[in-house]
Parts: sequence; structure tokens; C-alpha cells
Amino acid sequence: MRGPHSFVRSYFPVNWSLFFGELVSGLTLGSIYALIALGYTMVYGILKLLNFAHGDVYMVGAFIGFFVLQWLGGPLTTAVTGWLAIAIMFVVAMVGCGALGVGIEIFAYRPLRNAPRIAPLISALGVSIFLQNSALLLWGPQFRSYDTFDLIGVKSYHIGPNFFISNIQIFTIAASIALMAALTWLVVRTRTGKAMRATSFDREAAEMMGIRVDRVISFTFFVGSALAAAGGVMFGIVFGQIFSLMGFTAGLKGFTAAVVGGIGSIPGAMLGGFLIGLTEAFATGYLPGGSTYANLYVFALLIAMFLVRPSGLLGSPVIQKV
Amino acid sequence: MRSRRATVVAALLALGAAFAVVAAAYATPNRAAAPTAQTGSDAALVKCGKTRSIGLMAPFTGPAASIGINQVHWAQYYQRTYNATHSTKIKFVNEDTMLGSANGTAESVKGAQALGSNPSVLGVAGPAGSNEVKATTGALKGAGLGFVSGSATNTQITTDGTRTGYFFRTVPPDSSQSLSVSGYITSKLKVTKVYIVDDQEAYSIGLADEVQAQLKAKGVTVGRDGVSQQQSDFSAIINKIPRDTELVYLPWQLPPKGQAFGQQMKSLGRGSVKLMGSDGLFDPLFSGLGSNVYDSFFPLNPSDKRVKAFKKLHGGASELFGAPTYVATQVVSGAIDRACANGTASRAEVRAQLKKTKISKKASLLGLPVSFDSNGDMVKKPFGVYHSVNGVFVRVG
Repeated sequence: MRGPHSFVRSYFPVNWSLFFGELVSGLTLGSIYALIALGYTMVYGILKLLNFAHGDVYMVGAFIGFFVLQWLGGPLTTAVTGWLAIAIMFVVAMVGCGALGVGIEIFAYRPLRNAPRIAPLISALGVSIFLQNSALLLWGPQFRSYDTFDLIGVKSYHIGPNFFISNIQIFTIAASIALMAALTWLVVRTRTGKAMRATSFDREAAEMMGIRVDRVISFTFFVGSALAAAGGVMFGIVFGQIFSLMGFTAGLKGFTAAVVGGIGSIPGAMLGGFLIGLTEAFATGYLPGGSTYANLYVFALLIAMFLVRPSGLLGSPVIQKV
Repeated sequence: MRSRRATVVAALLALGAAFAVVAAAYATPNRAAAPTAQTGSDAALVKCGKTRSIGLMAPFTGPAASIGINQVHWAQYYQRTYNATHSTKIKFVNEDTMLGSANGTAESVKGAQALGSNPSVLGVAGPAGSNEVKATTGALKGAGLGFVSGSATNTQITTDGTRTGYFFRTVPPDSSQSLSVSGYITSKLKVTKVYIVDDQEAYSIGLADEVQAQLKAKGVTVGRDGVSQQQSDFSAIINKIPRDTELVYLPWQLPPKGQAFGQQMKSLGRGSVKLMGSDGLFDPLFSGLGSNVYDSFFPLNPSDKRVKAFKKLHGGASELFGAPTYVATQVVSGAIDRACANGTASRAEVRAQLKKTKISKKASLLGLPVSFDSNGDMVKKPFGVYHSVNGVFVRVG
């Protein structure tokens, strides 16, 4: 007698092992993109600025995490337990990049706040190149290895005979969802979040209502950059390798995620991040030449989104009185 | 209206960026630059003096800088030992080729033109990549400069006749490496299901093509895929590799990427699958993955005193991939010294001396004597196969 599983298998010959494998890969990668996208979307929401230096802040976060790990004794001889070391790496990288984000805002964007919109955009590109080349100069072009295997001992769990998920993948997905939930709470439930929303809605009106707009903008940069740093450390932990040029492509994907989700929308950025990650993973797994052209599929999705829904999945079109 | 304009601007920016990324990742320009007017003429005699200038073309920056800097270190190491032991000195004129970046070959052509225009440069060590060799041939040849690469392995760049007499290399071609690899896989490992993942660079694709064809001819089932050299997440492609695959072949250039691939294989429950790398992955990072790792490399002796001294100088990093660039610099420097024997030299004389190169097995660092055939390839070009034993590569074939 045939069981329900064999019935399903014979009529729907899906390779479930591949499907779940790509699903987990996509969610893991998507988690990181979502964290980067949040920074893009928050800054855009509040300043209407595309902060192209954001990808490089993510790179700096990954490097801070790496140097903290070295300071703690390296992956083989860490002074504390592996998971505590990871927690310290996250905290230091997030605080460090938060401060870097505030510094960038004060020195590169604030003086241009009333300038034509192209000026801060050029400034953002300049900051990006500056950070990239500074990293190259300071830390060299070599790849740095987090050696997560030595640090925490990567374990893989199998559900069924051929479906594997590692403790690192579970951690990445869970940690990024926790960070996104914390951000949502911050924006929706706190006074600071209310000030951020008010500033985003109408900066001048917010200022007239007594909100210290400069401080709110700096705080937004701090939070966005801290999330990017968390993404950078996660990248190092999951994929093992970091290097000084890693921010460019990741930043671009994060930006794409923010736009696909609806730039300015926090839930949209999260959704966009996961969607981009899943597109990349499933394109690699299923489409012809998928791994070679994964980026092509990702950006095709972006173009399709612009054609079908220019404001993104969860973005709302702005109606302006003319 | 304003928001709509912003959307259009954002769309255009995104499109531009998308094209930049796609072009950066997939561009494989394959054209030689047209010869340009040069100030340094082929036969013009240069007074040699005490300091001799060598052009050094390498990816100092850009996506491949991590291996480029490795080659630069080995070239500088030769310079250091030469300058310490000779009355004449070597000076490098550096040109960054930015291998692997969106405008990589354009940068290498600019660099070649700059070297051609510099009358003090008598010979060139580099460039690193086969595509760069193709792209810079016009400019270097037009200026009469001989050039010696320590890493361009594409088989055709010496056999197509385009740069004969000008180009030489101190690494064996892909055809030599592929025969060793496919032979070992079929006759020693007796593997019947292989998956090849190239890294979309000319070096990798050329080598992968040759190994794939040879394995198929021997009845091995071969799957094939590719990843970008900038990629770090290999989990999606690992999921795609059939479960019954016995060996994954990685003809890659970046050892950290090979290490990441191996670690991700383990974390996805595929740690028992054999991994075989190419010369680009001959590094402790890759051998440290475990006893399932194999690699192919020219018979360099890791316990050579120069390798040990280099390691000491660079904080323990052996970076053996760059060793042929040491030999390339040695070849160029030797040719210039011989051409300068009477106090003056021309680029044509240096090229003539490059052809006559003879470095003994002991002096070459590669574990084999270096002399060139009429195409510019080394006369002796064997490749060895290595197995990781306790994290160290040991020659097994």
C-alpha cells in the first residue's frame, strides 16, 4: 500500500531536499540583506537620501567584528566562550558603526541638508569610496577569516535524510528577526520612534512641534549603521570570509531590497531583503546558469518591480498637492 | 511630481548600478589593445647604470588584490635578495592592473602603455591574468617590451603565435595541469561522479573546460556550474550538487574562497565529499580543511630556505601561489643583466636574452629548471598532485 508521501512524490516530483536547502540559504542571505536594507530605508525615510556609503559601513562592521575576535584571542584560543565572543563582537561592531554613521551624517550630509538633492548623493558616493579605500589601505586587500568552525563548532542538523540546516543558519535567521522586531518596537512604541516618524512625515512641522530634528536624524543614522554592522558580523560568521570590497555588492543588494520592499517602509525593507535572498538562492538552484546569472535575476526583479509597482511592495505612492 | 521624479532617478541609479555589477562580474574582454605610439623604441639603447628598472604589473587593488599582493610580495622578496647580493640594483615601476574589476583590462592596458612610454623600463614582470596578457599584448609588443607572467596559464596565449618572442611564463599551462588532475581522479581516486565549479574567470573556465573534457572522455559523469569570484555564499550551489557526487573540482584562484566553500560543504552535511583544487588553491587555508582535500601544483619545495625566509618575513604566511612571480622577476632581471653586460641595452636585446634564459633547478625555486621553448612556455612543466595530510599538502602523484 502506498503512503501519502510516495503518492505526493510520484505525482509532484519535486526535489524537496533542494527546495528546502535553497529556502534556508535564501532566508539566511535574505536576513543579511534585510538588515542592510533597513538602514537604507530609514535614512531615505527621514532625509530622502540614498546613503550609498551604507554598504561600506556594513563592511567596516564586519572588520570591527573580526578585530574584536582577534583581540579576544582569535577563534582557536578565545578568552571567553564562543557564543559570548560573538555577542561581544556584535555589540562592539554595532556601537562602533553606529558612531561611524553619526560621524558620516554630521560631516558629509548635514552641511548639505539644504543643498540640491544631487549634492548629498555625490557626497554619499564620495564617502563610500573613501571608506572602501581607507579599508584597503588600513587592512590590506587580503581576505580575513572568521573561522567560525573553530570558534563555535558548526553543527548541522538533518530533518529527513537529505535536508540539512546548520546552527549558524538558525542563529542568523533568528538573530536578524529579533533585531527587526526590536527596531519595529523602537519605531512604533517609543517616544524616539514617534519623533522619527514625525520627522519623516514633515521635518519642518516636527521642528516646530519641539522635536530636535538633528538629534533624531543622528539617531536614525546610528540605528541604521548599527544594523548594517550586525549584518556584517553575521556575514563573517555564516560565510567565513570578509574583505575590503565586500560592501559594494552587498550595499547594492540591500538598496535593491529596500526599493523592492518600498523605500521608506521598514516592513518593506525586511520583506524585500528576504525576497532578494530567496530570488538569489532559488535562481542558483533552479534556473539555467542560475549561479552565474543570479545577480541578473535579482536586478531583473528590481526592474520588474519598477515597471509594475514603482513604489515597491509595501511602499505607498506619495500624493502631492499641485 | 517630485516623488515620481525621485522614483525615476532611483530607478536609473539602480539600473546603472545593476549594469555595473553585472558587467564587473561577467565581463570577459578578450581583445588585444591596438599598438600605440611609444617613446621607448625597440632598438633604442639605454645606458644601464647601477639601477635597472623592471615594470611590475599586478593587481595591487581591485577584487583580485588578495592574490595580487601575494605576487607583489614575492617580486619584492626577489628584489630584496637581489639588491642585497649584487652591486647593481633593481627598481620596480609599478602598474596596478586591477584584475577582476569592471574596467580591469582597461587599467592593465593603461599600465602597459605607461611602461612602454618609460624609456628606463627594459622588461616587465606580469601581468597576472591571461585576459590581461591578451589585452596588453598590443601595447607591450608595440613598445618592444618582453613580458614574463607568473600566473597566466591559459593554454592558447603561447600557442596562438600572437606574442611569440615577447611573452614568456614561469607557470605551466592549463593543458599540463588538466592532464595531471584528470589522470589522478580517474586512475588513483577511481572516482566516477565529479562536479566542477569554476569561478568565471578566464583561468578557471579554461582549466575547468579541459578537465571536464578529459574526464568525460574517460567515462566520468561530470556536472558543471560556476560562481562569481566575489561570491562568499556557496550554500545555494552546494544544495544543487547531486548527493551521489564523489568529488568536487574547484579550479579557483582565491584560497580563502576555497576554504569557505569547504566549510560550507561541511556545515551542510557534505563534509565527506572529496575536494580537489587547482594551483590557485595550493595554500594552508585550503589544505587545513581536512583529509578529503587534494590539490595540483608545480613541484615547489615548501622546505626550500627561500620559502622559509619569505614566510618569516611575512609573519608566517607562505603565499606559495606568488612564488612563480619571484621566478618571473628573476628571469627578467637576469635577461636585463646579460643584455647590460656592455653597459647599454635595448629592449630587443633584453627579449633576445629572455629567450636564452637558463635557470638551474636549484636556483629556480619551482623545483624544476627554467628555460623556454619557442612559444615562451617552460620546457619542463610537470604538475604534481597533493593530498592534505594533517593539514599539510603531501605530494601523492
